[in-house]
Amino acid sequence: MSVIKCEKLTKSYGENKALHELSLTVEENKITGLIGRNGAGKTTLLKIIAGYLRKSSGNIEVFSEQPFNNLKVSSNMIFVDDQMNFPTALHLKELLYVAKDFYPNWDMDLAERLFDYFSFHPNERHHRLSKGMKSTFNMIVGLASRCPLTIFDEPTTGMDASVRKDFYRALLKDYIAFPRTIILSSHLLNEMEDILEDILLIRKGEKYLHMPISDVKAYAFGIRGESSAIKEWSSDKEILHQKQIGDGSSYIVVTNTSYKLAKSAKLEQFTISPVAAEDVCIYLTRNEKGDIDHVFNRG
Amino acid sequence: MILHGDGTKPIYIQIAEWLETQILSESIKSDEKIYSQYQLADMFTINPATAAKGLNILANDSILYKKRGLGMFVASNAKTLIVSKRKSQTLKQLVADLVQEANRLDVGEEELIEMIKAESNRNKGEPE
Repeated sequence: MSVIKCEKLTKSYGENKALHELSLTVEENKITGLIGRNGAGKTTLLKIIAGYLRKSSGNIEVFSEQPFNNLKVSSNMIFVDDQMNFPTALHLKELLYVAKDFYPNWDMDLAERLFDYFSFHPNERHHRLSKGMKSTFNMIVGLASRCPLTIFDEPTTGMDASVRKDFYRALLKDYIAFPRTIILSSHLLNEMEDILEDILLIRKGEKYLHMPISDVKAYAFGIRGESSAIKEWSSDKEILHQKQIGDGSSYIVVTNTSYKLAKSAKLEQFTISPVAAEDVCIYLTRNEKGDIDHVFNRG
Repeated sequence: MILHGDGTKPIYIQIAEWLETQILSESIKSDEKIYSQYQLADMFTINPATAAKGLNILANDSILYKKRGLGMFVASNAKTLIVSKRKSQTLKQLVADLVQEANRLDVGEEELIEMIKAESNRNKGEPE
């Protein structure tokens, strides 16, 4: 069963199209990683799914209903980001008890255990917490609410490395015990890729890739060898990334299909290596203007 | 075991290989139940679907068999299957790499064989 269904979903801010004819389906009880560069439209997409923003055109269904201003969607969904607003008059512990009334599946025991583990003080207030502590508290609410659709928009902002690790492990453990549909957006694919099932890559408001994470790793191959030989070999292939190493040799990244095509050709002269999923995403989403070195190339 | 997340080997293949090693060392014996996808997911902090993929590799190779509603079990001839699979694939590839590196360094066949013998003896704890 699919929980989210978009067809040609478009969102414009004035002349600017944040999302452009995005079509996708997210299946029930999967952990999906939403990846994209700054400004690719990740947060806009998530907020439309959550029903916080109205679409401009196209179609979107969450739990088979239009999410905007929808009670069924909002009662089955939680949207966690670093701008969550909580009543400033209440202490942290009181916030947990308020959340309990909001979310029917709320697990108070889990919330309190996490609360103690991360050494929160019951009488602290949310708006006085540090950035990392705020994210940590929001994460506790996101996990303990056990919503059928749980959305984390860059949940690890400001968290230190060990809290991040704890977060991903806590998320995974609770997901194993209580499977639900989870969407995680982050810039740091590397640290969360192990717990993902699917990956959704968007670029300039359009869907670029949506596949199991294990397939992303097989999506591209790195090939290293003598420059002229590489150049000749790759002339008819799609090159995702190219780099000179020293004088005589080059490193290129090609897609799996080009690799398969070329398997019959002589590859012994080259060194072939797999490419990490994060690097694949970087190559796929880089802009046409060339990389950072290009900026410094005034010659 | 710590998984290598650097992208050199897909996680599900690392899981399959780890399970194979567990079976070879008889940590899990024939006709015993192997870890479930959820146990593996918890042990290695990976998605259960990834763990299932690793288990399925072994099931496809008949190293594991399924019992409806009970999970997966180690086949009686699992060790033999793993040994022959690793010999024909892993070991063969390692030898190919070894020979390639020897050629690059102009190490002759005899010298290479001597090196292998020396290493083998060293592992047995005998003097070279």
